[in-house]
Amino acid sequence: MSLLFFVGLFMVCPLTYAQSTIKVGIVDTYTGPATAYTMDVLDGFKLAVNEINAKGGVLGKRIEYTTRDEKFKPDIGLAMAKELVLNEKVDILMGTINSATALAVSDFAKKEKIPFFVTFSKSDKIIGEKGHRYIFNMNENTAMAGKAAAVALAKKPYEKFWIAGDDYEYGHAIADSLWNNLKKLKPQVQKVGESWWKVGEADFTPYITQILAAKPDFIIVATGGSGMVNFQKAAKATGLSQKIPFYQHTAIELSTLKPQEQNAPEGVFGTANYFFYYPDTPSNRAFVDEFKKAYNREPRIGALYGYMTARFIAEGYKKAGKVDTETLIKALEGMSLDSPVGPLAIRGCDHQLELPMYFGVTTKDPKYNFLVAGDIQAIQAKDYMPTCDEVIKSRN
Amino acid sequence: MDAVYSIIPAGVLSQVFVGLSRTTILFIVASGLTLILGVLRIPNVAHGSLYMIGAFTAFTVTKLFGGGSAGFWMALIIAPLVVALIGLIAERGMFQFLYEREHLMLLLLTFAFSLIFGDLVKLVWGGEYKSVPVPHIFQGFVPLFGDLPFPLYNLFLLIAGPVVAILLWLLTNKTKMGKIARAAAVDREMVGAVGINVSRVFAIVFVIGCFLAGLGGVLVAPTVSVTLGMDHNLIIEAFLIVIIGGLGNIWGALLGALIFGLTQSLGILIWPQFGIIFPYLAVVVVLLFRPTGLLKSTW
Amino acid sequence: MSRKTLLGLGAGIIVLLLFPLFLPRFYVYLVSLILLYGLLATSLNLVLGYGGIFQFHHAVFYGVGAYGTTLMLTKTGLPAMLAFIAGPLASAAFGLVLGIICIRLTKLYFGMLQISLGSLVWAIVYRWYSFTGGDDGIHGIPIPEMLSSPKSAYYFTLIITLVCLFVMWKIIQSPFGSALQGIRDNPVRSEMIGINVRMHQLLALVLAGFFAGVAGSLFVVVDNTVFPDMLFWTFSLEILIMCLLGGWFTFLGPMLGAAVIVALRTFVSTYTDYWALVLGIIMMLVIFFLPNGILGYVEEKFKRGFIEPEIEEQ
Repeated sequence: MSLLFFVGLFMVCPLTYAQSTIKVGIVDTYTGPATAYTMDVLDGFKLAVNEINAKGGVLGKRIEYTTRDEKFKPDIGLAMAKELVLNEKVDILMGTINSATALAVSDFAKKEKIPFFVTFSKSDKIIGEKGHRYIFNMNENTAMAGKAAAVALAKKPYEKFWIAGDDYEYGHAIADSLWNNLKKLKPQVQKVGESWWKVGEADFTPYITQILAAKPDFIIVATGGSGMVNFQKAAKATGLSQKIPFYQHTAIELSTLKPQEQNAPEGVFGTANYFFYYPDTPSNRAFVDEFKKAYNREPRIGALYGYMTARFIAEGYKKAGKVDTETLIKALEGMSLDSPVGPLAIRGCDHQLELPMYFGVTTKDPKYNFLVAGDIQAIQAKDYMPTCDEVIKSRN
Repeated sequence: MDAVYSIIPAGVLSQVFVGLSRTTILFIVASGLTLILGVLRIPNVAHGSLYMIGAFTAFTVTKLFGGGSAGFWMALIIAPLVVALIGLIAERGMFQFLYEREHLMLLLLTFAFSLIFGDLVKLVWGGEYKSVPVPHIFQGFVPLFGDLPFPLYNLFLLIAGPVVAILLWLLTNKTKMGKIARAAAVDREMVGAVGINVSRVFAIVFVIGCFLAGLGGVLVAPTVSVTLGMDHNLIIEAFLIVIIGGLGNIWGALLGALIFGLTQSLGILIWPQFGIIFPYLAVVVVLLFRPTGLLKSTW
Repeated sequence: MSRKTLLGLGAGIIVLLLFPLFLPRFYVYLVSLILLYGLLATSLNLVLGYGGIFQFHHAVFYGVGAYGTTLMLTKTGLPAMLAFIAGPLASAAFGLVLGIICIRLTKLYFGMLQISLGSLVWAIVYRWYSFTGGDDGIHGIPIPEMLSSPKSAYYFTLIITLVCLFVMWKIIQSPFGSALQGIRDNPVRSEMIGINVRMHQLLALVLAGFFAGVAGSLFVVVDNTVFPDMLFWTFSLEILIMCLLGGWFTFLGPMLGAAVIVALRTFVSTYTDYWALVLGIIMMLVIFFLPNGILGYVEEKFKRGFIEPEIEEQ
């Protein structure tokens, strides 16, 4: 009796969309600390989709999308991706900030031959050794971030480094990539020590005092997510930011600096690929204005990823001439589109979006209630992206 | 001071003090949990959510009062009261009818609450990180140990912890209400039989427990980014502390928090890569040798 | 077991065997998930509901089983069937080891010690990047051809689950099972009539670990991935919730709980992203009105419905 009872639970009709649309299924985390980033991806995506639909859509069809919250759990994320493809019958999968989920979904996308646009996962395995034809990476990854930072830091006078960070793959991957590349560019650098704390660590004072006692020239801090703000707060509270310079990936980005308002520490080095105030070009200003009008806040990094994902999907289908996956993929390879930060292209050999990377330092600015990036230097994609040969080799 | 440093290096001493200041937040949250678990026998998995609501409320209150130090002090009083109110509503509305249920079903109920609170916080405050600034008088640090800095706010926490502990001890041991509560924890039927309104006592204990969770949230807010998901980080630590300290035992909660805080900050010195496992190892050791907790528990 | 129940079960099994021919692929996948989570929850209930042991970190055994199978499939060239046995055997071994350490404690303390030890296991899997893939997990696990399609994965899951459920049912009906329930209800009395309480509990823990490991291996077959989250304490809490929601004093309650949670999660999220809120509210209602879980309530009603007319007739 009970068996019949629960078998009957499945007689629930799934939602069906009309066939005259292009359906995008988004799996992402909208619960917990990651939400601060993923909201921007979705909002940027929505902004572009509304623009595109207002101009008549793609090949006469509207772009429809539906979201699923995986709550940062890979098993839920994978199940939701499967539901989107098998039940909702989406044409395109998009997401997620959780690298484990992205890898699992990537494997599924390969089997089902559905294009999967990765918007905020940073594991270099996604587009590297586990990459394949159906994956498109719309953000940078740990290998690229580390190398870009190494290029910038090699030009600085520091020699004795302490390496610290969040004790998970993201933290270690960025630190490893940075350190290995730095050593290649500047062989005389030495590592004087390491510290790793649990993800979500709230109290850094014990680690900071240990680092201060060792007196390195520079600290590489591989934090992610909420660790960014937590560490900066602790650095300010203990005076670390005035004593020893340090670097964090995205230290200079709005997601990290805006919540702290005027209290963020100055002089922190970082890398990022988008600021709403730089470059101060007409296209960036236009994008920022549109975003502010729609969402009442300045766009953060996720917004660029989401926005460009929608634009590439639309332009890709337009160039393909039909809603067909294989022709879409061919159309997208090597395609370059105008963006708020200038022309961006999807590299043909591995489907990696070639984003600019900026290196800068946190600075006060009288125009804003929060700190911004100063001394910005752009690092060319060719200097920090792995070569096509390297990627192809790692995939085999 | 130098004589002391020759015996114990400044670095270790500094770590000890840092570990102690971390203890405060752990203790305050755990003390609330130990009261609820020890007296009411409710395994309150939603305790972390209450802590999170305390932190978010502190953000809102601070903003309301101008965003500066005055705001923080107001938040210190108002936010825990808000959380206590939420606790009161939950207790009167739901829990008071369910004390006779199985522990595990109560665990299910508090888990349901934690799901609901988690989503409600997102609905009310949204997904962005929030930040509560450190009040002006506590900004900066003192070079306590050689030139190793000790943040002033941590000093404040170091003092606040024992103050709360003493206040709680006075409350539970020196007031009539406290004594009734302790008796009811051990034998609620007997206490009811002598004519005391056990239900009212339980409500008060529950509310105090929630107040403490909220207070922990306010105190932690200036040191971290206030985000969704902070409930999950703390709850398992709080439970472990309560267990090793002894259920319903305030000093046990303090002892447990001390062990947790110190093993972590010293563990980092011994084995940096795996410092995070030291508190768990400590818990395993304690439970193997003192299965019911270090200090007396109420059940 | 009454005739009605047998007929109902038979009908249910026939539905489960035939529906992949009629319903789309997605439902096949969904039911596969429900079956394996149900198996997992039932394995927990073996020690929780029938043994009275507060197994708070059951996910460890599930994760060990899944990782065991995965590592054998990816790191060794040994045949797949061996890998599918290796996983559950590994988790049974973990069940034994953790059991021996924790068994001297009771109730809440047993649970908390198990959580501490289990967290250590999780930390090792999470950090041992080179061996276990760390927090990225392991993906694209090679499954033998004949099991790799969704339909064949489903039938494999169905058969294994039914066999395991049958075995567990038999265990509970056996003298061992009765002794276990006796220990749950009154450990002192049981000791006095000569039952070796410790041995019984340990054996139960090993069995629960074994079947949890089977569920883990099935997950590998269905989803071809593993990640450290499978061993995290929040997942243990979810399995516990499945048991409690469905009814932990009934045999099929945990399976029902698993079905409710997976179905709710899947279908509520097509309407809103606040599915946790909805789940929380439903759980609250169940606890308030159905103190023994859904199936517990249904069985009570059913029993009462049968007994009363009989009494009236007399």
